[in-house]
Amino acid sequence: MMNTLAQGLTQEELQKEILHTWSEAKETWVIHIELFGIDLSINKIIWFLWIGAAVTFLILFIGSRALKNRPGAYQVIVEELYGFGRRNLAGQMGEEGLRWLPYTLSLFVFLLVLNIIGLFPGSYPVTSNITFTMVLASFTLIIYITVGIKRNGVGTYFKNFVPEGMPFKIVMVPFMFFIEALQEFVTRPLTLAVRLYANILAGHIIIFLFLGFILYLGTFAALVSVPLTIVFYAFEIFVAIIQAYIFAILTQIYIELAIYADEQH
Amino acid sequence: MGSGILDIANTSLIFWEIVTIAILLFLLWRYVYPPIRDQIRQRQQSIEQAIDEAEKTRTEARELLEEYRQQINEAREEARQIRDEAKKEGEQQRERAKKEAREESDRIVQRAREEIQRERDSTLREVRQEVAGMVIQASEQILGRSIDHDEHERLISEALDELETEVAGAGDGR
Repeated sequence: MMNTLAQGLTQEELQKEILHTWSEAKETWVIHIELFGIDLSINKIIWFLWIGAAVTFLILFIGSRALKNRPGAYQVIVEELYGFGRRNLAGQMGEEGLRWLPYTLSLFVFLLVLNIIGLFPGSYPVTSNITFTMVLASFTLIIYITVGIKRNGVGTYFKNFVPEGMPFKIVMVPFMFFIEALQEFVTRPLTLAVRLYANILAGHIIIFLFLGFILYLGTFAALVSVPLTIVFYAFEIFVAIIQAYIFAILTQIYIELAIYADEQH
Repeated sequence: MGSGILDIANTSLIFWEIVTIAILLFLLWRYVYPPIRDQIRQRQQSIEQAIDEAEKTRTEARELLEEYRQQINEAREEARQIRDEAKKEGEQQRERAKKEAREESDRIVQRAREEIQRERDSTLREVRQEVAGMVIQASEQILGRSIDHDEHERLISEALDELETEVAGAGDGR
């Protein structure tokens, strides 16, 4: 029995088995929609995006409606979430950053919910989709560029790319400008997107890989695979929280850096 | 990519993500954050108020305590004064009574002494006259004639005086 199972799977089949969450998502639970030749179909990815959004809203909405002067446990959690945002997310560099707290706090809770939902077997981890993280990173990019220009003016915004008092001005100024522009417009959003995507994807693939040993090597491999999987599952919960926090706080910090760009140099 | 792990440019996801996040943010910003913010602010205010009140009460209590302490001190001081005064007065009273008693007793003793002196003097005078009379009578009988009464009396009186001083001297020498 064990041997037939082990022999029945080729490496190709095993790979398919391990990656089935991602390869099949687009063809699962589909409602075909096409507008002006653009594919806007609703599939498993979109469903879980919506589930995540709905859960995020409900968690916070119920928390905001059940407010009493003597808080219960649930209220404390929601308020602590908000307080955590005020203390550890926004306003690291100044009061003005607090204006963006609603955005980054929502982002944090949303990503956290999506990461956690993605850990349920049979679900789709939306945050392990590079398109999803890229769009979020683009939001961040658009916000901090807008804020920076609005706050400092176009001239000052670009002037701040180059620190004052550079030696060899002819060479160094364009060079520094290039480096800073690259960081501002490419590196930051790209790393923001890839960090979240790669962390969540890698975590899930590792878990599937450990379980794949059972399919490939036989049932006895479960003795090793299952404990390892459990350990990694626990670790993935930690990763889910930490990555959501990192994405949110980096977004906040980039925005605040743009707000206070003039005061650093 | 067929495996779907590098799902770049998924147009449906881009579209629905933007729509979903826009709606989510709007709902959160409209319906969720204001009550939470207000609640936290309100609680903060009430806590601050409570702290202020507690501080005020404590200050008041401290003032009251200080006042009571002062009152007690004052009362104690007053009691001490009263006691001292009473003691002093009592002392004075006793002194006065003692003094009066002594004066009274002195006066009585003095009076008694004077009385005794007077009594003694008169007795002495009487005795002397008696003795002088008897001596003269005896002398007249012995001599068989009358003698100068006044002269005799003078002599006898002198003799008696002498005797008296002698007796007094012997009495003192005792």
